[in-house]
Amino acid sequence: MTAVSMSAAEAAQPAARLNRRVLIGRALSYAALAIAVLLVAFPIYWMIATSLKLPKEIFRQPSLAPMAPTLNNYVSLLFEKDFLTAIRNSFIVATTVTIISVLISSFAAYSMVRFRYRFRGLIGRVILFAYLTPTSLLFIPLSIVMAQLRLGNSLYGLILVYLTFSLPLATWLLQGYFRSVPRELEEQGMVDGLTRLGALLRIVLPLSAPGLAAVAIFTFTGAWNELLLALVLITSESQRTAPLALNYLITSDVLPWGPLMAGAVISSVPLMILYFIAQRFMVQGMTAGSVKG
Amino acid sequence: MADATFETAPARRAPGVTRLTIFAYLLVAPVLILIVALIGYPFVFAIWISFTDQVVGNAGKWIGLANFAYLSKNATFTASIWNTIVMVVVSDGLKLLIGLGLALLVNQALPGRGIFRSFLMLPWAMPGFVAFLTWRVLYQPIGGGINLILTATGLHSGVIDWLGQRSTAMPAVIVATVWRGFPFWFVSILAALQAVPKELYEAARVDGANGWQQFWTVTVPGIRQVVIVTVLLSSIWTANGFENVWLLTQGGPSDATIVFPVLAYFGMQTQRLGEAAAVSVYTLPVLIILVLIATSLMLRDEE
Repeated sequence: MTAVSMSAAEAAQPAARLNRRVLIGRALSYAALAIAVLLVAFPIYWMIATSLKLPKEIFRQPSLAPMAPTLNNYVSLLFEKDFLTAIRNSFIVATTVTIISVLISSFAAYSMVRFRYRFRGLIGRVILFAYLTPTSLLFIPLSIVMAQLRLGNSLYGLILVYLTFSLPLATWLLQGYFRSVPRELEEQGMVDGLTRLGALLRIVLPLSAPGLAAVAIFTFTGAWNELLLALVLITSESQRTAPLALNYLITSDVLPWGPLMAGAVISSVPLMILYFIAQRFMVQGMTAGSVKG
Repeated sequence: MADATFETAPARRAPGVTRLTIFAYLLVAPVLILIVALIGYPFVFAIWISFTDQVVGNAGKWIGLANFAYLSKNATFTASIWNTIVMVVVSDGLKLLIGLGLALLVNQALPGRGIFRSFLMLPWAMPGFVAFLTWRVLYQPIGGGINLILTATGLHSGVIDWLGQRSTAMPAVIVATVWRGFPFWFVSILAALQAVPKELYEAARVDGANGWQQFWTVTVPGIRQVVIVTVLLSSIWTANGFENVWLLTQGGPSDATIVFPVLAYFGMQTQRLGEAAAVSVYTLPVLIILVLIATSLMLRDEE
């Protein structure tokens, strides 16, 4: 009624004036977005461009584009500085942390979503507190504990301490996904002869596949990016992860820009691939549980 | 409805239900045990260490509040707290403004908005350490991208040592932190905007509200909850951020960008564990307040 008369009034307005306002609005929006895109793109461009430059080009003839692009920085980083080992270590740690976290966190999340029992609310709170407990508070005691367990300077120790951020995150996010799986489907499955565990494995997990994928990616990303705990725990060169190896490239007086940016590009590639494959799941997951950037 | 009966029936009398309860506890046990062992215990341990004079290789003895008393008179510690506050307020304020602005733009019916959304999330998709190393190279006085751009566009010619002088170091670290952090805000707020029912805008328009009034009466109430939770979470994370400052300036020049996680790390490097732990524990009261507010909001959201 009112809406109809409203749209009639709109239509009665001179169409040209309305169009012009819409067009100007759009033009301004695109202009603002274009500036944002440039500001986002420039550092990324600079990282790639610098990784393709030779030292003499970086310092003697600074320019916005590489004059003579070369892969020398990549070659020297991977083979002379043994960045390949660091990447391998990062893969081992991040993959193991992901598998452990997704597996046991999905059990915990399922338990908390589907059953009513004493202390369930308390456990939920503990997990959320754990999620928000910052590494900056834990790194000192964790390094002492890991030294006592003789797990300092080892990838096993690193995997163990990375569970401190991955488990609460994975459990918290998975609760949201499991809650959206209708209970009736599980009950139907159990009528058809599945056990509780069977219902979890055959019904809930497959239906939550996008959620599991998102949680796996967040967990992998968190472990792949972590610097502080690695810095504290790992002392020998052979155990360094990618962020640690790059961190130690710059502690010398001269900043080796080319190899540093080559390492930055290489470290970004796995995450960028994951990100483009699973972008939609990740946005859903991120907004469902608020995921650390 | 096995669970429904469980909720009403006393657990002792129904053996099947008891088994179910044990099953539920067994499922949650691995995560709970690991969290207590790897977070709960170290958390308490950190507080304990901060009351001792522990150094590496020596468990130390209880010295009460001596570490805290020492820190409160220490100029570097005071600087680190002040810098942390500036970092949180300025960078999260900027992230909110930029994230909200871009989310409002992309939320319009614009052709190509999906591409903008994907692209603007890139800083968040790359590893944090990569972002900050890249900014370190960008800020280099000679041959760095920022100075080159300023010279090429004629905005400023000459060499600015962005990370090397007190006046520009903190703003430079904040710019890099905002660049890396704004997509989280952008995506969170965008999702909240998309969840605001379209009918509300129509109703407001029918009532004669202009764009600005619609923003305050429909948009702001619709996204308020998400924004508050994001403010709290992002403040906790920014305050405890280590790698941005560490990879850009290591707290320098002369403590201009020192923040408390970096100071705690330095304390650990010099092997004075008691003092180092006290640096983090000092901030605990504020952290606990923020965490309590955030968790109660997040748990309320959930129900």
